[in-house]
Amino acid sequence: METSVKSKNLDAFRTAAHTIVNPELQKWMDQGGKVMGAWCCYAPEELITAAGLVPFRVRATGSTGTEEADAYVSSINCSFCRHAFNMGLHGEYDFLEAMVWLNNCDHVRRMYDNWWRKVNTPLTKMMSLPKFTGDKQVAWWREELVFLKEALEKHLGITITDDKIREGISIHNEKKRLLRQLFELRKSDNPPITGADSLATAVASTAMPPEEFNKMLKELLEELKDTEGIKDYRKRLLLVGSIFDDPSYVKIMEDIGGLVVADSECFGTRAFAVDVDESIKDPLDALAKFTIKDRQHCPRLFGEYKRRSQYIQDMVKEYKVDGVIGLRMTFCDLWAGEYYMLNLDMKEAGIPFFYMDREYLMAGTAGQVRTRIQAFMETL
Amino acid sequence: MTETSMDDKCLYKLIQERDMIQMMVESFTQSVTEGNNLFEVPTKAFVEHHNELIRRYISGEPFISSYFCCAPEIYTAMDLPWSTFLTPAFTGMLNPDYQDEVDASGQLFATDLCTIIRQAAYYVVADMVPPPTAIIAMMHPCDGINVVHQVMANDKKWKDVPVFGADPPYWADERSLDYYTDQLYEMVAFLEEHTGLKLTEDKLRETCEESNRAYAIWDEYSQTRRAVPCPHGGGMGLQVFGTLSTNLCGKPEGTDWVKDVLEDAEALIKQGKGAVPEEKIRLLWFDVLSLGTTTDLFPWLEEEWGAVIVMDMFGYAPYSQLDTTNMDTMMKSLAARALNDVPMIRQARGLADLFLVDITNIVKEYKIDAVIYPGYMGHKDGTANIGMMREKCRELGVPFTTIGMDFYDDRYTSPDEVKDKLSKWFESMGHTPKSG
Repeated sequence: METSVKSKNLDAFRTAAHTIVNPELQKWMDQGGKVMGAWCCYAPEELITAAGLVPFRVRATGSTGTEEADAYVSSINCSFCRHAFNMGLHGEYDFLEAMVWLNNCDHVRRMYDNWWRKVNTPLTKMMSLPKFTGDKQVAWWREELVFLKEALEKHLGITITDDKIREGISIHNEKKRLLRQLFELRKSDNPPITGADSLATAVASTAMPPEEFNKMLKELLEELKDTEGIKDYRKRLLLVGSIFDDPSYVKIMEDIGGLVVADSECFGTRAFAVDVDESIKDPLDALAKFTIKDRQHCPRLFGEYKRRSQYIQDMVKEYKVDGVIGLRMTFCDLWAGEYYMLNLDMKEAGIPFFYMDREYLMAGTAGQVRTRIQAFMETL
Repeated sequence: MTETSMDDKCLYKLIQERDMIQMMVESFTQSVTEGNNLFEVPTKAFVEHHNELIRRYISGEPFISSYFCCAPEIYTAMDLPWSTFLTPAFTGMLNPDYQDEVDASGQLFATDLCTIIRQAAYYVVADMVPPPTAIIAMMHPCDGINVVHQVMANDKKWKDVPVFGADPPYWADERSLDYYTDQLYEMVAFLEEHTGLKLTEDKLRETCEESNRAYAIWDEYSQTRRAVPCPHGGGMGLQVFGTLSTNLCGKPEGTDWVKDVLEDAEALIKQGKGAVPEEKIRLLWFDVLSLGTTTDLFPWLEEEWGAVIVMDMFGYAPYSQLDTTNMDTMMKSLAARALNDVPMIRQARGLADLFLVDITNIVKEYKIDAVIYPGYMGHKDGTANIGMMREKCRELGVPFTTIGMDFYDDRYTSPDEVKDKLSKWFESMGHTPKSG
C-alpha cells in the first residue's frame, strides 16, 4: 500500500522520519541556527521557537544498540530511553545546543539525571509537569515556563519578548492546523495518504525548522488534492500509545491490508489536536493553559481518562475505524493501566481492541508484529 | 451485618490479613527468642487497626484509603482510620494462595508493571477490598501509583468513591513546599467534606508533637545502628518505619514502643552484643524490603555470611521535626515531610541526587562495607540510577551490586539465585561463608 502522489516534500518528510539530522535541519545549522532537543511533546516548542532555536523531538531513529547506555541503566528501563541515551553517549546528539526534559515518566525523567552527567549538551533543563489539570496547575506550569524562558535568555544572551512568544505560538498553531488538515483527509473512504506517510509527516514536523515545514506541508496538501485515494485495504485501524515514531511499523500493518487512518499517539494527533489560544493576552498564560487544560493528554495526567477514552471513541466514528490497536512500550507503567481501562471501555462500546507490547526498535520483531496484527484483523 | 455472617467478598483481604498477622502476634507473644517481643506491639496494633476498619465498613462509619507519605498525622488527628491498597500485597506472601493471585493480576495488567501495584489494582477490580469512604491518592514517587489510582477511579464499583490527590511538585524548594502545603489544605477540606469529621488545630498539634517525640527517638535508634556490631538485624528499620508512619502514627503507643526498641538496642550495645555473634560485613540495602527479605534473605545473610543489613532505605529516614507553632507551620512542615523526608518518596520522586547523597551519608556514617541495590522490578526510576550509584560507590571505595528482584513474587528471581549471586559477590571480596 502506497501513497500515489509523487512529491519531493513527502520524500523529504520520509527522510526526516528515518534520520536524526535531516537536510532541512542541517541547512538551518549550516546557517548558524541552533537546535534544542525535547524529550516529550509537552515541552513548549513555541517558547523554544521564540528563543530562535529549532525544537527537535528526541528519537532514537537509526540506533542499533544500547551497549553503552546499559552500563548506566537497567534492562527494565524503556528501550526508547536506552537507545536515545546510547546515541547521546555516542555523540549523535552533539548537534544540540540545549535539551529539555519533563518529569513525564519514570524512565524519561531519569534520562535527565544521566544525560547531564554524561553527555555534553551545553544547556540541560528539567521542568516539573503537574499531575492534575486544574487552575493551580496552570499557574504552576506558567512559572515553569518562566524558568525555562529565563534559562534560555541567560544561556543565549537574548531577551524573549512576549511578541516573540506570540510569534512562536502562531507558527506552531499553523503547523497544528496543517497537520490536522492532512490527518483529516484520512476520514475519506479512499484516503490520499497512507498511515505510514502521515506518521512520517508528523515526525518531520518535530525535526525541521517549523516555518520551512509549514511551507512544505502546505504544498503537499495542494498536491494531495488531485491524488487518487487508497482503495486496496481491508480494514481501517486506529493506533493508540506513547512514543511511536517509526513509519516502517505502520507499513507492516498497511502491507497486510490494515490502513491506519487515525491515532491517539504523542507523535500523532495528541500533539496537534488543539491550538494554543491566541486570544489570551499573556502568551505564557496561553501556553500554560494549553499544556495543562486544553491539549489531549496522555495517561500521565490524572483525572483525564474519560476524555482520553472519548477522544478515541469519537475518532472511531469519524474515521470509520474497524479496530483499535494499542502499542505499549514494554516496561511502561502508565500505559499498562491505560490499556486495561481502554479494553473495558472499548468492549462496552463494541469497538474491537487489542494491544501488544513492543520494543522501540522493530528490528527482529517484524514477523511477530505482522502475525499479531494479521490475527487481529481476521477477527474484525 | 456482622463479620462472620456477612456475605461480603470485599472484606476478604482485610480479614485474611488480620488473621495472618494475629497468628504472628501469638507467635511473638509466646516466643522465647531474644528480641522477638519487640514485634508484639506493632503486630497487635496492625490487628487492632484492621478490626477497626472492618467494624467501620460494617457499620458504615468513615474510613479512608491513603498512604504513609500523605501526611498521616492529619488522619490520626481527625480520628480517621486509613488503610492502604498496597498492604494486601505486602502481607500477601504469608498467604498460600498468593502466587495464584499474582498470576490472576497478570491476566489483567502487564506483568512488567510493579507487582505490588498490580496486586493492589487487582484486589480492587476483583472486589476483594472494601470501598472506603474516600481515597487520598498517592501521586508519587512512581508512574505505577498514578496508574493504580486511575484504575480505581474508573472502576465500575469504585467510581463513586471520591478521590483526592495532592499534586506533588518535582522540586524541593520553598516554592514547592508552599504549593504542596496548599495541596494539603485542599486535602483536609476534601476529607472534612466527605467524612463529616473535622480537623482542629489543637488536635493536630497534639498529634504532631507526639509524632515529633516518636521520630526523635527513631532518629536516636537509627544512630545506635552505627555501633559495631550493629545491635539489631535488617528488618527492624522497616518495622520502625511501618509502625510510626502507619498504624501508630502520632500515637503515644508508638512513641512508647520505639522507646523500647531504642532501649533494647542500647542495652545490647552495652553488652557488646550484635545481631550476629560475629559481624563480618556491614551492608546498606538501598531499596524497598518485603516479608520475604526480612524473614528469609536477611537471616540467611546473617547466619551464612555474618552480613548484617545495618541500614536500608526505609530505616534511614532523616525526618525533620514538625513546627507546631500554628496551623500554617504544621501544614508546611507536614508538606516538607511528605516531599522530602518519607523514605523511598524522598529518594525516588525527584532528581536522582538524593540517591547519591543518601548512599554517601549512610556509607560514611554507618561504616558500610558494601552496598546492595536490589533493583526491584517495579522501581524503574531507581534502576535507571544504577550507573550513578555504582560510580558513587566506586568513589566511596565500597563494592556495589544490583540484583534484579521482585520482592512480591520470588519466581522472578528465585531466592536461591539471589543467594547464589550474593555469595559470589561476597567471595569476590574475599569473604568465606560459614558453611564452606
